[in-house]
Amino acid sequence: MTKKDDETQRVQYLLDIEYHYAAGELATRFFTELKEAGRIMGMRCSGCHRVYLPPRPVCGICYKELKDWVPLSDEGIIVGCTVVHLPFIDPMTGEQRPVPYGFAIIRLDGASTSIYHFVDETDEKKLRVGQRVKAVFREPRTGSLHHDIKYFRLVGK
Amino acid sequence: MPRRVAIISTGQTKHRAKRRDVNVRELITEAVTRALEEADIRMKDIDAVVIGNMEPFEGFLFPELWAVEGWGGYLKPSVKFNTGGTVGTTTAIAAYYYVASGIYDVVLAIGFEKQSEGHTQTAITTVGDPIWERAIMAGAVGNFAVMASTYIHDSGVTEEQAAKVAVKARRNACNNEYAHLQMPDITVEDVLKSRMLAYPVKLLDMCPQSDGACAVVFAEESRAKQLAPRPAWIKAVATAHEQQYMGDSPKRLAAMRSQVAASRRAYAYAGITNPRKELDVAEIYEVASFAELAMYENLGFCERGEGGKLIDAGVTEMTGELPVNPSGGVLSTNPIGATALIRVAEAALQVMGKAGKRQIDGVRTALATGYGGNAWTDVMILSRDL
Amino acid sequence: MDEWVVHQRIKIPFMYTAGRALTRFLEGLARGEIWATRCASCGRVYLPPLNFCGRCWRGIDRWCQLPPLGELISYTIIQRPLPEHPDRSPLILGLIRLDGADTNLVHLIGDVDPSEVERVTRVRAVWRDERPASILAISHFAPLT
Ligand SMILES: [Zn+2]
Ligand SMILES: [Zn+2]
Repeated sequence: MTKKDDETQRVQYLLDIEYHYAAGELATRFFTELKEAGRIMGMRCSGCHRVYLPPRPVCGICYKELKDWVPLSDEGIIVGCTVVHLPFIDPMTGEQRPVPYGFAIIRLDGASTSIYHFVDETDEKKLRVGQRVKAVFREPRTGSLHHDIKYFRLVGK
Repeated sequence: MPRRVAIISTGQTKHRAKRRDVNVRELITEAVTRALEEADIRMKDIDAVVIGNMEPFEGFLFPELWAVEGWGGYLKPSVKFNTGGTVGTTTAIAAYYYVASGIYDVVLAIGFEKQSEGHTQTAITTVGDPIWERAIMAGAVGNFAVMASTYIHDSGVTEEQAAKVAVKARRNACNNEYAHLQMPDITVEDVLKSRMLAYPVKLLDMCPQSDGACAVVFAEESRAKQLAPRPAWIKAVATAHEQQYMGDSPKRLAAMRSQVAASRRAYAYAGITNPRKELDVAEIYEVASFAELAMYENLGFCERGEGGKLIDAGVTEMTGELPVNPSGGVLSTNPIGATALIRVAEAALQVMGKAGKRQIDGVRTALATGYGGNAWTDVMILSRDL
Repeated sequence: MDEWVVHQRIKIPFMYTAGRALTRFLEGLARGEIWATRCASCGRVYLPPLNFCGRCWRGIDRWCQLPPLGELISYTIIQRPLPEHPDRSPLILGLIRLDGADTNLVHLIGDVDPSEVERVTRVRAVWRDERPASILAISHFAPLT
């Protein structure tokens, strides 16, 4: 092993952890709806009337239990957007994630909160906050947010 | 009533991209030894230790356990924190609580990270929820990019104004012997022309990845007066959380709810009504150039949408009304587990009059902030006056 | 409704920096030598070596070479080796105190049947022919006969 004078020995290794993430009751309901009906569901707070996506058991602002499911549109607006150029290792695969790719914080019509998703555009000049987008589904659906919705496309494109 | 608590000394390593000359343990010992020497005390004078680090940046769990005799943990009361980017301020606030409570008189706070050992953006991406966010998220760079785009849209802040922040940081860093990125000749043009990481964030808009450690000694009133000629008294601490998912806050950076809440709580406790006038210096956890501008607004240094104008007017430069990050900030040095503690240490150095070439004249009151986790904010206010 | 369980991995490559003291130790192993450090204050001999005694809170710069011989303090027999282990057969992990050291080393115990290891008290290092700058420069420790 070669090294500079002030350097010390280095050992290369891979952290590789397998895990099984239980999505929970609410996510199970959400993904079942997504898979079987192609429908995106949010949850409404009876206190502040915020509609939450992703669904969750409690409104963190009112601290009220969320019980009411509401269907959301598959269209919405871009709240924030970027095109990722930085190459980096994807922790889900241990391999380089393909770049460039566009992603946005998207607020679906009917929702008060937003989610991260891909957008079908890698030219940052064509992406802007406030722009309308629509989900493009992928068949057959498997019950995965990032598989079943392939990406969001810019409306009017 | 909490007891009065002061910072009596600090110690930092020389922060670099790669500290290949030392392992984690040797790195920590370097900072701790400096902090003890500065206060002219020995490890036996330390009653308890709090240590912070962000797993899994080193790739193995509990790196502090591999290093325990290198930070004085042997048989001492100690506790470890991992709260993401805020870990350094969480550690400082915990040390404050320990001393203020009356349980311990002298407490050592430590933060450390060896970013060079792993892949920072990869590790940060694991912070994203595995079913809702992780497949999309591109580390801190991607998060700051989408947040910056919202901020640009809302406030009209320009890439040039952000670039000025990046320039200020790297030039200020030239006065800080511990800083990682020192760039005396950097220009706005250099920042604008630097490689695009994730629009609108370019290479020089973003903080580096550093190896480094920081140690800070906290003491109760009588010990502080005995051990330090001019201790930095802690006037207020505050922490606040955001909701859990990345898209929960309508304006996660541009109107960071946790930062507004925590800073207002701390100002109220310290009796500060006009932070721009009453603070003499601020060491904030800015991460990206755009973030610093948004944080000016969140911290009440200016009105909403005025962050860009504040940097244009030079208010936050070394010679301005409220200098921000004379140390060079996170944009110059970022060993994550130590970064927020470095903010506290630098704020303390300013109050103690020990900041050397980066000293701002006549500092009585200083602000330090931490940012991290999921838009989580920590705030500490330090003062020369008891 | 079925429970939704997502099966994923986290995979991140890392590079561990051994630091000053361990590097000297590892380079010694590549030469077939075992080097430890001795604290001038408390006299403790650290193996693996440390260049700082946390108990005395002072640096250590005294090095001493130890013989490849020591005492088997304790052991465990791993009936189902992990994927990282060299092969599938049961293996013995020993806690070894080299002569002159104040701390213990963990290594494989070989050249003895697991049913016989209980009787082993003294062990010696068995070096590999090709020695890496790693603890694996020692293939295993064998009973001293
Ligand atoms: Zn609510
Ligand atoms: Zn000793």
